[in-house]
Amino acid sequence: MMRPAAGAKVNAMSGLNRLIAFLSVIGIIAAIYYPIWRIELAAPQYPEGLYLTIWADKLAGDVNIINGLNHYIGMATLHADEFVEFTVLPYILWGYAIFGVVTALLNRKKLFYTYFWSFLLFAVVAMIDFWRWEYNYGHNLDPLAPIQVPGMAYQPPLIGYKQLLNFGAYSIPDKGGWSLFASGILLMLGVVYEWLKARKTKIKTMVNPAGLGKAAACVMLLVTVGCKTGPTQIRFGKDVCDHCKMVIMDKKYGGEIITKKGKCFRFDDAKCLVEFSKTAAVGSNNIEAIYLLDYYGNGNLLCSDSLFLMTSTDLHGPMGGSVAAFKDKAALDKAIGELKGTSMSMDELMK
Amino acid sequence: MKSSRIITASVLLAGIAMGYSCKPATTETVVQGDAASKVYVAPGQYDEFYNFLSGGFNGQVSVVGLPSGRTIKIIPVFSVNPESGWGYSEETKPMLNTSFGFVPWDDSHHPELSQTNGEVDGKYLFINANNTPRIARINLKTFRTEEIIEIPNSAGNHSSPFLTENTEYVVAGTRFSVPMGDNRDVAIDTYKENFRGTVSFLSCNPTSGRLNIAFQIKTPGVNFDLAHAGKGPSHGWMFFSCYNTEQANTLLEVNASQRDKDFIMAVNWKKAEEYLAAGKGVKEPAKYAHNVYNDTTHTATSTMESEVTTLDPKDCPDMLYFIPCPKSPHGCDVDPTGEYIVGSGKLAALIPVFSYTKIMKAITDKAFDGDFDGIPIIKYDAALYGEVQKPGLGPLHTEFDANGNAYTSMFVSSEVVKWNIKDLKVLDRVPTYYSIGHLCVPGGDSKKPFGKYLIAYNKITKDRYLPTGPELCQSAQLYDISGDKMQLLLDFPTIGEPHYAQACPADLIRDNSVKFFKIGENKHKYFTNGEKETKVVREGNQVHVYMTCIRSHFTPDNIEGIRMGDEVYFHITNLEQDWDVPHGFAIKHDDNAELLIMPGETQTLKWIPDYVGVVPFYCTDFCSALHQEMQGYARVSPANSTVPLSWHTGVTQPAAPAAK
Repeated sequence: MMRPAAGAKVNAMSGLNRLIAFLSVIGIIAAIYYPIWRIELAAPQYPEGLYLTIWADKLAGDVNIINGLNHYIGMATLHADEFVEFTVLPYILWGYAIFGVVTALLNRKKLFYTYFWSFLLFAVVAMIDFWRWEYNYGHNLDPLAPIQVPGMAYQPPLIGYKQLLNFGAYSIPDKGGWSLFASGILLMLGVVYEWLKARKTKIKTMVNPAGLGKAAACVMLLVTVGCKTGPTQIRFGKDVCDHCKMVIMDKKYGGEIITKKGKCFRFDDAKCLVEFSKTAAVGSNNIEAIYLLDYYGNGNLLCSDSLFLMTSTDLHGPMGGSVAAFKDKAALDKAIGELKGTSMSMDELMK
Repeated sequence: MKSSRIITASVLLAGIAMGYSCKPATTETVVQGDAASKVYVAPGQYDEFYNFLSGGFNGQVSVVGLPSGRTIKIIPVFSVNPESGWGYSEETKPMLNTSFGFVPWDDSHHPELSQTNGEVDGKYLFINANNTPRIARINLKTFRTEEIIEIPNSAGNHSSPFLTENTEYVVAGTRFSVPMGDNRDVAIDTYKENFRGTVSFLSCNPTSGRLNIAFQIKTPGVNFDLAHAGKGPSHGWMFFSCYNTEQANTLLEVNASQRDKDFIMAVNWKKAEEYLAAGKGVKEPAKYAHNVYNDTTHTATSTMESEVTTLDPKDCPDMLYFIPCPKSPHGCDVDPTGEYIVGSGKLAALIPVFSYTKIMKAITDKAFDGDFDGIPIIKYDAALYGEVQKPGLGPLHTEFDANGNAYTSMFVSSEVVKWNIKDLKVLDRVPTYYSIGHLCVPGGDSKKPFGKYLIAYNKITKDRYLPTGPELCQSAQLYDISGDKMQLLLDFPTIGEPHYAQACPADLIRDNSVKFFKIGENKHKYFTNGEKETKVVREGNQVHVYMTCIRSHFTPDNIEGIRMGDEVYFHITNLEQDWDVPHGFAIKHDDNAELLIMPGETQTLKWIPDYVGVVPFYCTDFCSALHQEMQGYARVSPANSTVPLSWHTGVTQPAAPAAK
């Protein structure tokens, strides 16, 4: 049996994949000149519909009308120049396009695999970034907004349909998005094809393990950072208590409730947290987790199943509460000593 | 005797039966089973036709959808409209300016849709003002009155605004003859010697639609009623119906009905153009207002014109001819082929139909029957094609379908009569409820009628709808004329008193309808391009407030420093750029009307403060969930106050109470 000669032929891509690389470049360039994503809004009094298109370098569609409508519920106004993505994205896409052309021209399998995995990485990072932006857009509401529905957030769907007050929102790829998706699928098929071919000829250089590992690690990191359903850091001086509507200033007394659906409510005082947990906006069997601010922790949140509580008449929370949380027994004992308090349990607090 | 009793009983019974069966048919017997489905426009669906109705004594135009008969708009034209600020805002007041001053009302009779190549094109609607002679042009992209031009040397404008097949000319004709020129103070009974009439031809610019009086023709002293242009072969002629050729000045009811025949006046306007080119036109001084509204400056300008070109038939032979027509003719209608001219003499018992070819031959052969005030009268039989015999009583107006049929309204016998033009035979008749004036077939006075429906506009309503006291709305009926027999479909009430109406398929207009004005194109003198540019400026005792409005606030909404004795102008720009979001504006106990400002528009309300104190103002058109909060305050100080001018929105909220 003849061993295949090392060198050019072994490391070359198949002709098909050179073609695929070129085609994917077309797909990427299409995403520069066509809108990538669109959000469509439907409501009874908008028979003509409203839409927002997201391009590589701008927002288009009924941006002004949507901004005008959203100011009632306190959502931020959308301005394309506030998004660093619109400055950076065209360069990133051109970068990938050039990468694709180079890959096809230089005809190296390794390049092809790297191209594919980095393209996939980009797609995942982009979706995560989009989700995070949507989260902020829907949750960071102006505390002075005229219409306030307690506990309500207006995070648009990442993909698919969601009802937001009187609007039905559809979030779907637009032409540019579909062409990126098609490019990704093509590349994936190309990679699979190479892999199958490689298995036949027993060549082991199909996947660059180091590169794959690095890519996977990046993806995992971003996924965990972006998709955590744990507590979010309270932004003191900006976030507003979901119960009493006052801006959260004090780092010693507040907390958060996370519902089973992943909604996060913030409070400036444990007293507000307890009262809010009893309202219909949450419902006690809807609570996934409760966090309280560490009295000595400078803004750090403690999970309710691993904290220690103290009540004391010397404690003066922003809403007149007299309960604080501590991260361990030592801290609790120190506080009891200094402030003449008594310990209490979470059950007692939440009653 | 038994038999005699039986006979008496049978005779009685027969008499009763006959009495019942001889009763005339009521509406229940006239409407067929499927009429309801033919006029029902389901929710979310649209009507097929736009129907434009004159308002008569209300001076406006109303828009009705067919076949549902629903009124969808009232377009202010000649009468002030406090609802929208028409005639009250600084921008629209000039539209109602005339050489007699600001006139707040008129009597509008005949709408006419513009035509291209003899077909309705859906661009403009023209309408006449009868009382202060004027013609208005309405733009059908915005459904706004864009131009009003006054007609000088005219005493009432009735035979107007009929137009030629390419809208080259729109005509006006004086309803009443009066003394003209320098010698106007004469005894009224010197009508025959001193009273004269005019007909005017207004040119219409093909791109801008602008009207201008091209020329006026001096006519003998008669009353002009209606007019229609020739089409196809007869394009180049205009036909006016005249009555009171008796030239009576009193008790016209009797005295103007004496002659067996009055006239249809045929005007060869192509000849008139030749005379103008040859220099026969005389420029005479005349004072008349020409008012134009601009959609980018959102402002009307009124110009007073000073002269008009006239033609005297004495210097222009072969320009005017009289065709005898029985008897006090009202309608003067030209069929789609342009060959037949139908006169409707309102006191006649027949309908004469004249032939254009025969009229031309009669002129060439000089088949005349003397003259009237120097204008040749063509022999009746030389011009006549034929007469429709015994059509009904009191023919008023005729329109046509695309199949060679004519429909004439009969006022006295309260019916519509369908007859064939070629063989002059009556084909069908239907009653109207009651006393029809004009009728309308969509496109029925153009070269290509759309047909399908006929609408009768009636003068007497009585029991058609639920009673509403002594003053009743006018009634209209919708008929299906697509088959051989006319079929009554619907009875619907109308606004004002529609004298006449025109209709066209919705597709000609709906896609061009403007949804809002682009704010980038706003060139109003006091346009405020965004909230950052709002300000209040004092110029002597005038205070100009540059204000904006957007859901749901005014900027500025707190204004101080206004004094008693000031004239305050609120120039408000509606910053919205969305569909159906107008804002209203009204000032508490103001003796002016409100403003309705469309998205992208700027409008001005003039306010003379008459009260020291803080005066609220607010949005009057429900615009948003927080419409009730869309308000502001203006502080009015005494005349000698030194309170400085200041303005803002949203500043100086008291600080939130400190947290415990």
